[in-house]
Amino acid sequence: MHLPDGIVPVQMALAGYGGAGLLAAVALSRIKQMADPSAAIPRAAMLTTVFFAASLVAIPVPPASVHLVLAGLLGVMLGWFAVPAILVGLFLQAVLFGHGGLTTLGLNGLILGLPALLSFGIWQVGGTRWPDLAALCAGCGAVLAAVAIFAGLVLAGLPVALDPAAERAALQAFALAHIPLMLAEGVIVVAVLRVLRRAAPYLLSYG
Amino acid sequence: MARAVATPVSARARLVAAFVLAFGFAAVQTLDTLLALGAIAAVAVLAAGLSWRELARLRGAVVLACGFMVVLPMIAGETVFARIGPLTLYLEGAQAGALIAARLLAIVALTLALLSPVPVLQLVAAMRALGVPALMADLALLTLRYMDEVAAQLARARLARRLRGGRSGWRALPEHALLLATSLIRAQARSEQLWAAMRLRGYSSGLAAPAPPLLARDWGFMAGALVLALFVLWLDRL
Repeated sequence: MHLPDGIVPVQMALAGYGGAGLLAAVALSRIKQMADPSAAIPRAAMLTTVFFAASLVAIPVPPASVHLVLAGLLGVMLGWFAVPAILVGLFLQAVLFGHGGLTTLGLNGLILGLPALLSFGIWQVGGTRWPDLAALCAGCGAVLAAVAIFAGLVLAGLPVALDPAAERAALQAFALAHIPLMLAEGVIVVAVLRVLRRAAPYLLSYG
Repeated sequence: MARAVATPVSARARLVAAFVLAFGFAAVQTLDTLLALGAIAAVAVLAAGLSWRELARLRGAVVLACGFMVVLPMIAGETVFARIGPLTLYLEGAQAGALIAARLLAIVALTLALLSPVPVLQLVAAMRALGVPALMADLALLTLRYMDEVAAQLARARLARRLRGGRSGWRALPEHALLLATSLIRAQARSEQLWAAMRLRGYSSGLAAPAPPLLARDWGFMAGALVLALFVLWLDRL
């Protein structure tokens, strides 16, 4: 779910950089408040590598196959580290694979970073008492939030006004097309967190 | 992966030039300027001498550009310029589609031409020199360092699952989740070893090697990119 170069006005792209910079600054300041932030870098990097590699693989979700976004799981597991990890991942994807874009890097950082933090918040609030429900909400909620931000930015950024009926139809089709991804991410996050709670609870943080 | 060759212009200058030109191209609003964008991008690609494998990275952008050019004329605008069976095509949508497609392809081609000849480690060092925090540069370096290894592990695990007759469709999702969870646990164990190794090597202020100072040719390259971007904008506002 990447905004490509050239689709949004420059002002919006620059505002995206401003927003992503602010988000990164907040995240980095929260990370610096940790007891030993340097010690957390290798863990964040290794987990980011797994998420990055896993999101490149297409998983069959009938009737098609999807690339998982994994922003929800990233948020639950990395917390504030999710924001710099997402920005780094997006930059590498733009430079190495031509996915996303250089001018839209900030906006894409917001599209994935904000839902990741939302999932982190959901897990912090409900992870201890209702772990499965919190995991489902974190997984599905992250995709829902990312789709909503993405669609809003595309519609606001198009250089021409859409016919209202066509706009409604396009939004409905876009939302419907992402329901399987949302459910798949929800199932994956619930299943992953169930395994981790049993086998490696030290990997999860609770509020 | 990028070719590991020494390039005459530094990674930092290339990165700055890529951003300046990308934003310059993204600001283009008129169809008349698109020809100039195409010409600049084509010259950059030819000058970079990209291989077919590197050019294949444009595939996604081409598909996306075609999508915009096909869909927007059907759903956006008011002035009808053609009817094909039940389809009505609108002029404003067609113009917007062409504008978006051309900007997208020109920016992606230019990014590839400027940045793909630079080894990625040099790019990360350049990011660091341009003010990106050390934590993010280290994240990028470590992610790159273990990317191939982790991707290969995941691919092996998926192949093993298939060979054992793993389920398909929705029922396979828990199995995919199990693979992911296993990879995460393995990554955690690996990160502890990595942190121990980093401490033993005296890790303190970041992993990225310091970027070399900018030379006259680097300043010239960046100034050239700025002039080109301003020229494109001037052409666009004529």
